Amino acid sequence: MDTIIQQIINGLSLGSVYALIAVGYSLVYSILLFSNFAHGGFLVIGGYICYFALRSAGMNIWLASLAALVGAGFSAVIVERLAYKPIRERTPITLYMLIASMGMSIVIENIFVVTVGGRFRALPPVIPMQPVNLFGLATTSAFDILSLVTAMVFLVGLQLFLVKTKWGLAIRAASYNLRTAGLMGVNVNRLIGIVFFVAGLLAGVGGIFLSVRYTLYPQLGMITTKAFVAAVIGGLGSLPGAVVGSLILGLSEMLTAGFISSQFRDLVVFMLLIITLIVRPTGLFGKSVGEKV
Amino acid sequence: MAAILELKDVNKAFGGVQAVKDMSFKIETGELAGLIGPNGAGKTTIFNLITGVYNVTSGDMEYKGRNINKLKTYQVVSLGIARTFQNLRLFAASSVLDNVMTAAQQHYKYSFFEAISHFGRWKKLERLTRGESMDLLERVGLADRAEQAAGTLPYGLQRRLEIARALSLKPELLLLDEPAAGMNADEVDQLNELITSIHRDFNLTILLIEHHMDMVMEICPHIVCMNFGAKIAEGSPDEIQNHPEVLKAYLGEEE
Amino acid sequence: MDGYVLGIINLLAINCIAALGVSLFTGFTGVFTLGHAGYMAIGAYTAAILTVEHGVHFIPAIIAGGLLAMILAYLIGLPTLKLVGDYYTIASLGLGEAIRLVIENWQSLTRGARGYPGIDNYTTLPVSLGFLLVMGIGMFFLVNSSYGRAFKACRDDYVAASLLGFNTARYRVLSLAISGFYCGVSGALLAGFMSFVQPVMFDMAKSTELVSVVVFGGLGSMSGCLIGTTILTLITELFRPISQYRMLIYGLVLVLVMVLRPEGIMGTNELSLRYIKSIFRRRKKMSATEEGAR
Repeated sequence: MDTIIQQIINGLSLGSVYALIAVGYSLVYSILLFSNFAHGGFLVIGGYICYFALRSAGMNIWLASLAALVGAGFSAVIVERLAYKPIRERTPITLYMLIASMGMSIVIENIFVVTVGGRFRALPPVIPMQPVNLFGLATTSAFDILSLVTAMVFLVGLQLFLVKTKWGLAIRAASYNLRTAGLMGVNVNRLIGIVFFVAGLLAGVGGIFLSVRYTLYPQLGMITTKAFVAAVIGGLGSLPGAVVGSLILGLSEMLTAGFISSQFRDLVVFMLLIITLIVRPTGLFGKSVGEKV
Repeated sequence: MAAILELKDVNKAFGGVQAVKDMSFKIETGELAGLIGPNGAGKTTIFNLITGVYNVTSGDMEYKGRNINKLKTYQVVSLGIARTFQNLRLFAASSVLDNVMTAAQQHYKYSFFEAISHFGRWKKLERLTRGESMDLLERVGLADRAEQAAGTLPYGLQRRLEIARALSLKPELLLLDEPAAGMNADEVDQLNELITSIHRDFNLTILLIEHHMDMVMEICPHIVCMNFGAKIAEGSPDEIQNHPEVLKAYLGEEE
Repeated sequence: MDGYVLGIINLLAINCIAALGVSLFTGFTGVFTLGHAGYMAIGAYTAAILTVEHGVHFIPAIIAGGLLAMILAYLIGLPTLKLVGDYYTIASLGLGEAIRLVIENWQSLTRGARGYPGIDNYTTLPVSLGFLLVMGIGMFFLVNSSYGRAFKACRDDYVAASLLGFNTARYRVLSLAISGFYCGVSGALLAGFMSFVQPVMFDMAKSTELVSVVVFGGLGSMSGCLIGTTILTLITELFRPISQYRMLIYGLVLVLVMVLRPEGIMGTNELSLRYIKSIFRRRKKMSATEEGAR
C-alpha cells in the first residue's frame, strides 16, 4: 500500500510538471493551430538561466527562478518573432511553421551544445529534496510535493489569467477564431506575443523542476515529446485536456517504473499514444474540426 | 423514364441544427434539373449527402433504384456520380492538364508494377488518358492552357476546368454546385451554353445548384426550391416563379 | 579518387535512397513525418542480424530489411493514417521513438544500446549506386504515373480526391509503405557501410535530417530532394572538423528555408531540360526589360 501511494504521488508530481509544459504547448496550438516543436527549447533555456543565476551570479532560488521564467518567456517571444511571424504573415499553411519549429528546436539545443557543452549539470541543491512523511501513510520527497504544489499554483494562476483578465478573454476568443478576434479589435500580434510569453514561462517552470529531477543538459528539451503525447491524449488545443493527459501520463510512467520495470516506462508513454490515436484520435477533450465541403 | 436519383424523406441534423428536413424529390434520367433556395437552405448539404460526405440522419437516397445511404465518398464515382464544388476544389499547384488527367485516369487503370517499371500497358493507357483529357480541355476551351498551373487561371476558367474534370469521370449524374458563382452576365451566358451542350452531347443527367435565377429559369425545365432545409416548391420555371412560398423565401413577406 | 571521396559518395547514395522515400511520403503525399529513422533502423538491424548471425548473402538481406520495414510501416499506417495533420506528425514522432526503444531494450536480439558490431562491409560503391539507380528510376517512374497524380491529389485536396474516386486513406498507406521500404533499404546499406549500428543512429535527429533534406530540396520534387541531399550531405561531411555544428546547420537550414523560401530549392519542379531552359528564358526576359527601361 505504501509503495502505491508513493508512486501515485511521484506520478502526480511528474505529471504536474508535464502539465505545465503540455498546457503551454496546447495554448499555442489552440491559437495558431500548429504544433510548436521548439517548446522544449524554452524549457531548456529556463533551466540554464536558473542554473547560471544560481551558480555564477549567486542569486537565491527565488530570484534565479524569476530570471529563468522571464528569460524563458522572452525567448519564446523572440522565437515567435524571428521564425514564426514571417511565415504566418505570408501563408496560412501551418506545415511551414511546424517545420520551422522543428528547426528552432534543433538550433536552441545545439546552441547550448556548442556554447556551454553537452555535459550533465546538477543544479545546486537549493530545492528541498528530503523525505517527508505524509500523515503516516507514505513517505515521499519534499521535492515531489513542492513540484506538485508549484505546478498547481501556476496552473490556477493561468486559469485566473484566462478567466479574469482582458487579455485572457482575448486569448479565449482567439482560440475559437483568431481572425475574428482580430476583427473585433484584438491586436493579434501582441496577443500571440503574450501567448508565447506565457507558454515559455510555464515551460521555464517545468524546466527548473526537470533539471533538478534529471539534471540539466541540452537535450532535456526532448522530454517535451512526452508532454506533446500528453497534450494529444488530452486533446490538442484543450487546456484541461493537457492537464488530464499529463497526469495520466505521469501516473502511468511511475506506476510502470515502480511495478513492472523502469525500462518499460518510456514504452508505456508511446503505447498510450497509440491506443489514444486508434480509439479516440481527437483525444479526451479535443474537438474534431470538420472541414466545410 | 426511370428515376436516376430519388430522395425519400431525407433528414440531416447536425446536433441541434436541422439542415435538411423530410426532403423528397425525384430526378428522372436525362433531366437537367435545378435546385434553388436562399443561402443556407441546405442545397449543398443535399449534394454532400448524396456524395457520401455526410451520412443521413434518416430517410433514403436511391440511385438507379439502389440505396446509397451507406456509400463512402470514393465509391460514388464508380457508380457514375460526379460533382463540382461551391468553393472550387482544384489542385491549384498542378497543371490544368494534370487536373483532368487525375480524374480521367480512373478509367484507364494500370498496376503498380507497370507504373514503376513502365512496362506493359503503361504507355498506351497514359496516352489514352492524356488524349481524352486534352479532348475535354478543347471542349471547354482550355486546351491552349494545358500546362498552366490551375490556380493561376482566371476565375471563370477555373470553374470550367472543374466541370471538365468532373466530365472526365464519365458520369451519368453530374452535380454542379453553383457553377456560375461570381460570374458576370456574359460569362453566365457562355456557361449556359456549355451546360446545355454537355447535357446533350454526353448523355448526362444534371442537377444544378444555382443562385443566378435567369440561368436556372432558362435551362432547367424541372426546379426544386428549398428553404430552411425543406422543400417549399417543385415544378416548371413558370410554376416556381409564381409560387407564393418561393416569393416569400426570396423576397420576404408582404407587409 | 581517393578513399575519402569515394566514402562520401557512398554515404551520399545511401542518404539519397532514404530521401527519395521520405520525399514520396512528405513531399508528394503531403504527410509530414518525424519518425522515418525508425524504418531505417529496422532495415539496418534486419540486414545486420541476417548477415552476421545467419550467413545470409547481403543482397537478400538488404531487400529483407526493406521488406520488413515496409510491412511494419504498412501495419502502423493502417490505424494511424486516419489522423490528420499535426496528430499524425506527433504519432510518427512517438512511433519512431518507440521503434528505437524496442531495439534498445530487446537486448537478446539486438545487443541493445551498445550497438551491433562486426557487420561485413558489403556496401561498396557499386552496391549503393546500383540500388540508388534502380530504386531511383522506379521512384521517378512512379511519381510520373497515375499513382503520382493520385498521391498529389491526396496531398492537395483529399476531399476533391475522394470525390474523384480515390480512396485517400489507402493511397496514404501505400505511400507510407513504399517510403518504409526505401528507408529500410537505406538503413540496411548504412549497416554495411559503417559495419556497426547503434540505436542512437536512428533517433529523432536522424528523422529530422531526413525531412530537412526533402524540405530543403523542395516538397514535391524528386530531383529537388536529391539535390538537397547532395548539398546537405556534402556540407556536413566537408565540415566534419566542426561536426558539432552539424546539427546546428541542419536546424538553421530548416528555419531559414521556411522563412525565406518555403518551397525549397526546386519547389514542385523537376530538374529537366525544359525547366533549365525556362530559367534562362526568365533571365533573358528580366535583362531585356532592364534594357528597355533604360
